[in-house]
Amino acid sequence: MGRIRVIPVLLLEQGRLVKTIRFRKPSYVGDPVNAVKIFNEKEVDEIIVVDISATPNGTPPDYRMAREIAGECFMPLCYGGGVRSLEHARQLFQAGAEKVAINTAALENPKLVESIALEYGSQSVVVSLDVKKNMWGQYRVCTQSGRKELGDDPKTAALRMESAGAGELMLTSIDRDGTFEGYDTGLLAAVCHAVRIPVIACGGAASIAHMRAAVRDGGASATAAGSMFVYKGVHRAVLISYPAQQDLTAQLFDVI
Amino acid sequence: MITIVDYGLGNLLSIRNMLRRLGITSEITADLARIASADRIILPGVGHFAKGMENLHASGLIEVLNEQVLHHQRPVLGICLGMQLLSRFSEEGDAQGLGWIAADTRRFDRTRLEDHHKIPHMGWTDIHPAHESPLLRGIEAPRFYFVHSYHVICDHPEDVLATATHGYPVTCAVERGNILGVQFHPEKSHTYGMKLFTNFVTHY
Amino acid sequence: MDTTDPDISFDVHGVCNHCHSYEKLRRQYLYSEAEGQALFDGLIREIKAHGQGKRYDCILGVSGGVDSTYMAWLAWKNGLRPLVIHLDNGWNSEIAVQNIHNIIEKTGFDLYTHVINWEEFRDLQLSFLRASVIDLELTSDHAISSLIYYIARKYGIRYLMSGFNVATEGILPQAWRWSKFDWLNIKAIHKLFGKVPLKTFPRTSFWQKTYFDLLLRLRTVQILNYLPYDKAAAKATIMQDFGWRDYGGKHYESIITRFYQGYILPVKFNVDKRKAHLSTLINSGQLSKTQALAELEQPVYDPQQLEIDREFVIKKFGLDEAAFQAIMEAPIVPHTHYPSYETRHYRYHERFFEAVRPLTQLLKKLAGRPVSTPQSQTT
Repeated sequence: MGRIRVIPVLLLEQGRLVKTIRFRKPSYVGDPVNAVKIFNEKEVDEIIVVDISATPNGTPPDYRMAREIAGECFMPLCYGGGVRSLEHARQLFQAGAEKVAINTAALENPKLVESIALEYGSQSVVVSLDVKKNMWGQYRVCTQSGRKELGDDPKTAALRMESAGAGELMLTSIDRDGTFEGYDTGLLAAVCHAVRIPVIACGGAASIAHMRAAVRDGGASATAAGSMFVYKGVHRAVLISYPAQQDLTAQLFDVI
Repeated sequence: MITIVDYGLGNLLSIRNMLRRLGITSEITADLARIASADRIILPGVGHFAKGMENLHASGLIEVLNEQVLHHQRPVLGICLGMQLLSRFSEEGDAQGLGWIAADTRRFDRTRLEDHHKIPHMGWTDIHPAHESPLLRGIEAPRFYFVHSYHVICDHPEDVLATATHGYPVTCAVERGNILGVQFHPEKSHTYGMKLFTNFVTHY
Repeated sequence: MDTTDPDISFDVHGVCNHCHSYEKLRRQYLYSEAEGQALFDGLIREIKAHGQGKRYDCILGVSGGVDSTYMAWLAWKNGLRPLVIHLDNGWNSEIAVQNIHNIIEKTGFDLYTHVINWEEFRDLQLSFLRASVIDLELTSDHAISSLIYYIARKYGIRYLMSGFNVATEGILPQAWRWSKFDWLNIKAIHKLFGKVPLKTFPRTSFWQKTYFDLLLRLRTVQILNYLPYDKAAAKATIMQDFGWRDYGGKHYESIITRFYQGYILPVKFNVDKRKAHLSTLINSGQLSKTQALAELEQPVYDPQQLEIDREFVIKKFGLDEAAFQAIMEAPIVPHTHYPSYETRHYRYHERFFEAVRPLTQLLKKLAGRPVSTPQSQTT
């Protein structure tokens, strides 16, 4: 039976776990290492950890954090944030990550993607595209954790990254991030139908039904979520959760 | 004690971490002497087949490994690229492998895949054991994490331990006496992988 | 119970003071089935009445453990509308989180979680370890009680459901723990051994507590004392209705708690808290002495789990093996060695209330209101 990867995304801001809404107003979620430990014990498919403060602050990836987190993962770990050179990637792989996620540096310099893919294989490189609608309602790719608008439309950027050797793309809708409104399936479809590499949908998920729509209507190969796995109820109480396998089998896997 | 061969490719640390969680002692080494005296060997690997073989040649490991595996019949478990290296030949780089299993490694046949079947095959997939084996014993509804663009095709069906379907069924585990290989990553497959490693240490 | 409690005393029959005090507690705070049921029903009615028109009628703290989960079950079965609260101190186990999740899913209660800033909390716990005092849990306990005051104020809630129960927790030596209200002690220890300023850590000073107690009139309801509380039966109930999962020892749902109770207490302080818990169970007729002794024969901790937890704890604290060993081997220091409310403010406070207790209890009994166990005896 085909399975669709369902991936928790954790955001780090200077070593603290946070959650954003539309990439703003980070609120404190807790200790990253314990959160990963809990996800690991829930046997999640994979985990993506992104340091959203590294590139804006101009700091290198937090290797120590990556190492501590990798020690708690018996599933693949994708680590991103501040990766701007082959050496950064190398150290992250050595720290125990299976994949690195690159955003700003990849878009500014696709050769970086090429060099990592050449040395470690394209399956080890995930390019993360953060997309926001501009004033005229057009989708535009942003870098620097959403602070800078690049001017590229997502499809063009995605194709560029694919030919540079990216193994996967993570496509995040900034407008949907943390809103529980569901994925932007229109955005997903535009990109997924243009590239041949897997695309991980991110931004807005609140339910398995949303994930189903991302795959069925958006063409995503995998679905990622942050707030959905970290908050519970009207008070947005921090409580880590992950759907039960039987629910995923019944409500998601049959869509392919 | 499990000896994990370090030939420059593969996330050895993850394997060691899982073994440690299981209370199984292991060492990561490229030292010929240590490998020559190993009880059980894991041959890991992530990356390019030709590069993997190149590294093995360059490090002088091939002679030692052949001696250990073919002559002394030490149990060896190839993981991912490590399993592919057990074969004679791979289309990835048109390179010769170790030839311990009568098999070749070929790229996924795109004509047999649908649109949603991406290459590399990446993610969790159920595996189907072809016959009973101590390696997969006691693993209920086995599923593992895969990442690969090439797959092994065996000459002899009896060498095929398990298959998995990605567009079409492919061999995902091989077993011939003391020679074992798994295309998936047990070290990244939670309790499924833990049981597999435990079986490897207990029954081989 | 034995002499690992330094304050223990035995009478001419070899019966220790704990059994005697349990007997006292039992007579004071436990009821016959009929009486208990009547009081329980009355309480439920009272809570509901006071909660009318309000969003929540009581506060219910959960940890994922048996007692609090069973309390949630009782609240659910009796139609209460609690605000379920949880303190996340960065040490939750997956089982605890899943158990809490199941409660919320099944009951539909609202959940409020407070996540303590981990940098601050780690530093605070480390300072306690370095101070070599016995009650590491004081840090979390104080945070919980501060959170409770905060929630009570924020939502105007008058009732706090407490999971403390005489039947399984009645016996606990004073020497083995410290008062959870002692913010002064926490502050003092942190000042000496800590580095990270405690900016957001939930705290309640003596004066704040006095003010809140007067203002909020928050009533602690030890709901598990009214009806016969049998641990095994309670577990079976919540397993069936909530899919509750057992994690092993008491409070083992928190990684630091189980490591503290299972390793630090026995190894460094020569205290096996199981003795207190099992003695209580013997006294409440849920376990025989033979069974209890048999259980004590078992290691406090599964050795493999201990190894995993030990490594995890050392990693989380940012220590190394040598530093941790040094902490384990350092001589024990009593809490009173550092400034404390217990040696200052509370002495007068407690003496006063202890003196008037017979009067207040008499008044309560006359008013037909149930009496609650004094705070100083809750764990």
